[in-house]
Amino acid sequence: MISMPIVSLMILVPLIGAVLTLFSKIKEQTRIIALVSSLAPLVGALYMIMNFDSSTPAMQFVESFDWVPSLGILYKVGVDGIALPLVLLAAIVVPATIIYSWGEDKQPNQFFALILALEAGVMGVFTSLDFFLFYIFWELTLIPMYFLISIWGGPRKDYAAIKFFIYTHVASLVMLLGIFALYFAAWAQSGIPSFDIPYLLEQFQFLENTVLRDSIFLALLFGFLVKMPAVPFHTWLPDAHVEAPTAGSVLLAAVLLKMGGYGLFRVMLPMLPFTGSPKLMISILAFIGVLSILYGAMLALAQTDLKKMVAYSSISHMGYVTLGAAALVPLSVSGAMFQQFSHGLITCLLFMSCGAIQHIAGTRVIADLGGLAQKMPKLTVLMLFGFMASLGLPGLSGFVAEFMVLTFSYLTLPGYVLLALLGIVVTAGYHLWAMQRSMFGVLNEKLGHLHDITNYETISMGILALLVLYFGLNPSPVLDMMTTNAEQIVSLMALAGV
Amino acid sequence: MAIEDFAFLIPLLPALAFVVTFFFGKKMYSGGALIPIGAIALSCIISILITINLLQNPEEVVHQSIHWFAILNLGILIDPLAAVMLSMVTFVSLLIHIYALGYMSHDPGKARYFAETALFTAAMLGVILSDNILQLFICWELVGLCSYLLIGFWYQKPSAAAAAKKAFLTTRVGDVMFLTGIIVLFSGIFKIYNGNLPEGVYVLQFSEMFNLIPQLSAMHTTILGFEVSQLTIITLLFFGGAVGKSGQFPLHVWLPDAMEGPTTVSALIHAATMVTAGVYLVARTFPMFMGAPDALIVVAYVGGFTALFASTMGIVMNDIKRVLAFSTISQLGYMMLGLGMGAVVGMEAVGVSMFHLINHAFFKALLFLCAGSVIHSVGTQDMRQMGGVGKIMPITFITMLVASLALAGFGIPGTSIGTSGFFSKDAIIETTYLFAEHTGNYIPYIFGIVAALLTSTYIFRLLFMTFTGKPRTNYGGHESPSVMTVPLSILAVFALIFGVLTQTKFYHFLEVTFENSFVHVNIEHLAELGNYDLVHNPGHEPLFILWLPVIVGVAGLVISYLIYYKKVVDMSTIVSRNNPVYKLLYNRYYQHQIFIELIALKITYGLSLIGEFIDRKIIDGIIDGISDGTIAIGETIRKVQTGVVQSYATAVIAGVGLLIILLKLIVEVQ
Repeated sequence: MISMPIVSLMILVPLIGAVLTLFSKIKEQTRIIALVSSLAPLVGALYMIMNFDSSTPAMQFVESFDWVPSLGILYKVGVDGIALPLVLLAAIVVPATIIYSWGEDKQPNQFFALILALEAGVMGVFTSLDFFLFYIFWELTLIPMYFLISIWGGPRKDYAAIKFFIYTHVASLVMLLGIFALYFAAWAQSGIPSFDIPYLLEQFQFLENTVLRDSIFLALLFGFLVKMPAVPFHTWLPDAHVEAPTAGSVLLAAVLLKMGGYGLFRVMLPMLPFTGSPKLMISILAFIGVLSILYGAMLALAQTDLKKMVAYSSISHMGYVTLGAAALVPLSVSGAMFQQFSHGLITCLLFMSCGAIQHIAGTRVIADLGGLAQKMPKLTVLMLFGFMASLGLPGLSGFVAEFMVLTFSYLTLPGYVLLALLGIVVTAGYHLWAMQRSMFGVLNEKLGHLHDITNYETISMGILALLVLYFGLNPSPVLDMMTTNAEQIVSLMALAGV
Repeated sequence: MAIEDFAFLIPLLPALAFVVTFFFGKKMYSGGALIPIGAIALSCIISILITINLLQNPEEVVHQSIHWFAILNLGILIDPLAAVMLSMVTFVSLLIHIYALGYMSHDPGKARYFAETALFTAAMLGVILSDNILQLFICWELVGLCSYLLIGFWYQKPSAAAAAKKAFLTTRVGDVMFLTGIIVLFSGIFKIYNGNLPEGVYVLQFSEMFNLIPQLSAMHTTILGFEVSQLTIITLLFFGGAVGKSGQFPLHVWLPDAMEGPTTVSALIHAATMVTAGVYLVARTFPMFMGAPDALIVVAYVGGFTALFASTMGIVMNDIKRVLAFSTISQLGYMMLGLGMGAVVGMEAVGVSMFHLINHAFFKALLFLCAGSVIHSVGTQDMRQMGGVGKIMPITFITMLVASLALAGFGIPGTSIGTSGFFSKDAIIETTYLFAEHTGNYIPYIFGIVAALLTSTYIFRLLFMTFTGKPRTNYGGHESPSVMTVPLSILAVFALIFGVLTQTKFYHFLEVTFENSFVHVNIEHLAELGNYDLVHNPGHEPLFILWLPVIVGVAGLVISYLIYYKKVVDMSTIVSRNNPVYKLLYNRYYQHQIFIELIALKITYGLSLIGEFIDRKIIDGIIDGISDGTIAIGETIRKVQTGVVQSYATAVIAGVGLLIILLKLIVEVQ
């Protein structure tokens, strides 16, 4: 059997789809092209899941070509247990978003083209095994998101778009400095120029200068933490979400934030044991994680805008990723990876609900809503489902992730976990309070004529809800491969003698 | 095929009924009600058959388990304890569902109603037959979800939406403690095995957990200067979960408000599918409590105090359902009190407490359904607007009288004549007396006796105010249809004779629970860990002690008779805004003000607003400051450079160049 360059196709097809979409003039045609080219990566992701060997942490489906040999730049892509679930997540979320946005009227060709370009960038980030390539894709995701916010955004879109761009861009630049420092240091050390990620991570262990190692670590960490985002580097996120169109918010929260977490697992954790003071780094990470969980939850409680509340809840949920990663117990790390996957699915439901409310009722200010359930039963069911998943109801995917992170992190970081547990009640509180004020109670007559969500919206949200339920009952298909890689990451700790 | 092979259907059938009714119920007869009714009926039959089988062959405990993910499993465990609970829950839930056919017949949302009650039942059945603590927790949370949905069933009513949220959040506080308990337990087990968990063994299964009790009890941590065993911490955290779910002080505040749902939902919550889960949790993990004496004492005190505390509020409420709500809290307190007596009577405490749980389920479901029948007909819940209802609703009146007698515990000591509540509540009070005799501590006993007096007072006050005398307002009304009165009559029969039929058998049946299902549990050894002697021969109490609960019961009846029937005392002088005791009770000790207004709103919300300020002004302020500074620098640079893109590229190249020089230097220095 001739092996297909399946990973490359998953990057290339959306990119080609983006170009085709951009030049198609008819709305109906545009969205069908967009949907088809976003379904191709889904097929690819499912194919890889089915043919993936979960028992090894090694890279699979690897493709490698020399790109700039003199500088050691490769075109090298592949997936392992860290990457594949996120590839699957992106491949699920993008078509769901396209279906959800089926009725988009404002320049649909550009709109869908940007979504597809974004997908290509994200796929590239999750599969690149060369740091140079990784950085290119990393930057590539910024541009479509910038335009999605600045063209289809709300009233303060210009401010939000530029804030998003500059903030995350500064973080990217710091990360780039880290990458270059690592590249040159490894070059100087071994005499071989290479951007190969596994190679550089290995070389990192042998760098003699502790200050250099710590600086590289912190520079990369900064880049990833801003992306996640972790408190206190999070203020770009609520603004971006509030102004972004629904599809933009969905992709931002479900996929782009996951790039930060992905960086933690792919780059930071393998480096961590070899930094000057691993214990201190672990404490910093754990502190940031717990701070994000609690601070995000408290801030969500204070919000008056439904969408902003969901944005802060994202910050809170991403805190579990940091905490589980910092604990460095195999199942806490895989729990943190699963949290990324699970939160990606759940947050789609939440942002889609906010989008529908904004679209139909004309406002997202919680105090101006009320009693929507009477006119929007379908939305209410799906939204309540999403809220329940988000507050960690057992049987749904969020619980599996959070339970694993809390239980297994407790083995190494008991104090931090006990603090994080306090957040659970607040989390339930802001979700239910928002639900009570916006959907239940007396219908606010000022809202005028209301109707339920369209079939396209129902289908896309329904599929996501089913997936949240499926992975909550049967997490193994993605969790097993995560655990395999998590075990390998944790074994490095022993190797470093920490 | 043996009946055990169908055990998995017990929770599955109602769960499937939920799916079918939820999606297709609207198009079916009566909102698809017949599907949950059929499913629960089947579950009930399977449960009863398994129970009968267990009665005949106590060693044939059902235990099935499959791998779930990571180190977790899903499994079914039906031992005598689970079997009696399963039978009771399916049976009571079935009757309530049938009753709801009539009660909910005019409600446009009845498809949703029946779907949610089916899920509610399924979740509770899941709690009961879980073979491991995590699965129990999962179903436990689903119970919470269903209660949220059903209390807020009439979501367009702001008070219902608020009550639903309050119920979920209050029980959530308990749930977090429960979850913390599981986490602490797991870390303890992890340490016992030195980080190498045995292959193929699911450590969170009850049987595995119980095996490790001695090791867990030997592990100590120091908290605030006290040395506490790991086992005590775990059991107290579990009990924290039970306090939330079973409405024990101080997390009972959600239960009176939970009346906002349909009355049938109240009946489900109070009798079958929710509040008993907490008591069941303690009973299920009772061997662990046996090894942690401090925890058992806490259970006893919290339970006893709750029994008394709730009954004081029961005597001043005017809403018929609220009286019953406080009654439930109080009765659950008795059950916890009974469990807490494990310190002296050992495993028998489970039997005593569960016996009361089952009896209570019958008479409390009956009380609620009777109240529902009255409300359905009269159109108000305020007892001050009723009076004389007994004349127009004779069946409801008689069945409610039976339920009240059972609640007040009427019977003749020393004979086998008595209502079901008589046998079980008096058994609990007798155990507290044994405890007092044994330890010299009479406080739990006093809690029990005083609460018994108040119980009888409030329930007969309810009866007299509602059913006797002349109508105080001009309500219409008629007896309810037979679809409602038949379930009432069946429940009344159980409330009357279940105690007589089962009393001795029941204890014995439950006592074998832990002996048969967990062969490694050694009660005597646990008692040693807990450092107490087990009293094996109850029933030698003086005659006075046997009669006292009945005497206070009659006294309560007489008090209510004199005040509310004969009107010997003019209530209007007592019931006034100026009487501080009345005010305190009527305002429920101002718990609402403390819990909702102080803790939830003022403190938590205040903190979150401070956080919002920090976020906007300080963190974002710093960021904006940096960006303003950068823009100012950028403005200067722009005078030199031509455009943004070029300056960016230049900066990158310059930066990289600098970096290379820096690295060269570092390398050369080394």
